[in-house]
Amino acid sequence: MNYFQLFGLVNQFDIDLANLSTIYQTLQKQAHPDRFAHASSQEQLIAVQKSTEINDAYQTLKSPLLRAQYMLELRGVDMPSEQASFGDVSFLMRQMELRELLAEIKFANDTDAAIFEASVVFETEFEQLFNQLQVQLTENTTESNAQACDNVRKLKFYQKLQVELDKLEDALLDD
Amino acid sequence: MAYSEKVIDHYENPRNVGSLDKNDPQVATGMVGAPACGDVMKLQLKISDDGIIEDAKFKTYGCGSAIASSSLVTEWVKGKSIDEAAEIKNTAIAEELALPPVKIHCSILAEDAIKAAIEDYRTKNND
Repeated sequence: MNYFQLFGLVNQFDIDLANLSTIYQTLQKQAHPDRFAHASSQEQLIAVQKSTEINDAYQTLKSPLLRAQYMLELRGVDMPSEQASFGDVSFLMRQMELRELLAEIKFANDTDAAIFEASVVFETEFEQLFNQLQVQLTENTTESNAQACDNVRKLKFYQKLQVELDKLEDALLDD
Repeated sequence: MAYSEKVIDHYENPRNVGSLDKNDPQVATGMVGAPACGDVMKLQLKISDDGIIEDAKFKTYGCGSAIASSSLVTEWVKGKSIDEAAEIKNTAIAEELALPPVKIHCSILAEDAIKAAIEDYRTKNND
């Protein structure tokens, strides 16, 4: 049973997150190990495993990037290892520029404005790749799945940029 | 997680940070990134007509191990021929810096950066 089936959902990229959360809570209640307190140790073990599976499924389906990656796995797309280097030169050049933009924020006269500007740039570029990803996943051809795979990897760099921006914002607030 | 002394040394005093003129026909640029951690690494080599690496510069956005790996690599490649540089293995980098298993990918990134730069050099010089 895959995660979509476990949650009684159609295997598609667009998900209603509120609905997902409701299903999660219902499933978790049914499988809660406390309900099996008086059951045999075998049944208790199964309940714990079920509960863990429901949790893993929820975490995967909730996050758009993990969901996309999971869908590609289900389609048998060969995802490069997490550790494999990425070599798209123009994309990486852009990442360098964005990292430089991030590094310059603390020297700006108005750091709040600089943070805001950076977040708009990051978000715009993220959205663009994300919208492409949506289309590619829906298309579901060998070619579009390969492109989706590439886009998931690219989006991870934007996730990292956002984390760095948040860190910077916290650090500047502390000063 | 504790960094080794060598990593801290390279992190605090990185060697050869900066850029070379990418339009110089003798300069090769290698760009690589690691989706897992979002690290981005740029390695540039200045290569003489007889294929010796005369200078190396790097710019890395990433964790201490990624910075140390690229800094170390710039020291190692200087004076080497491109064929010798292409032989540098990530295991040697990881060993020198005493990288823990979770940081091995940083050394892989540095090895891949050398390969990417050499490939850029070969493409540039075959045209």
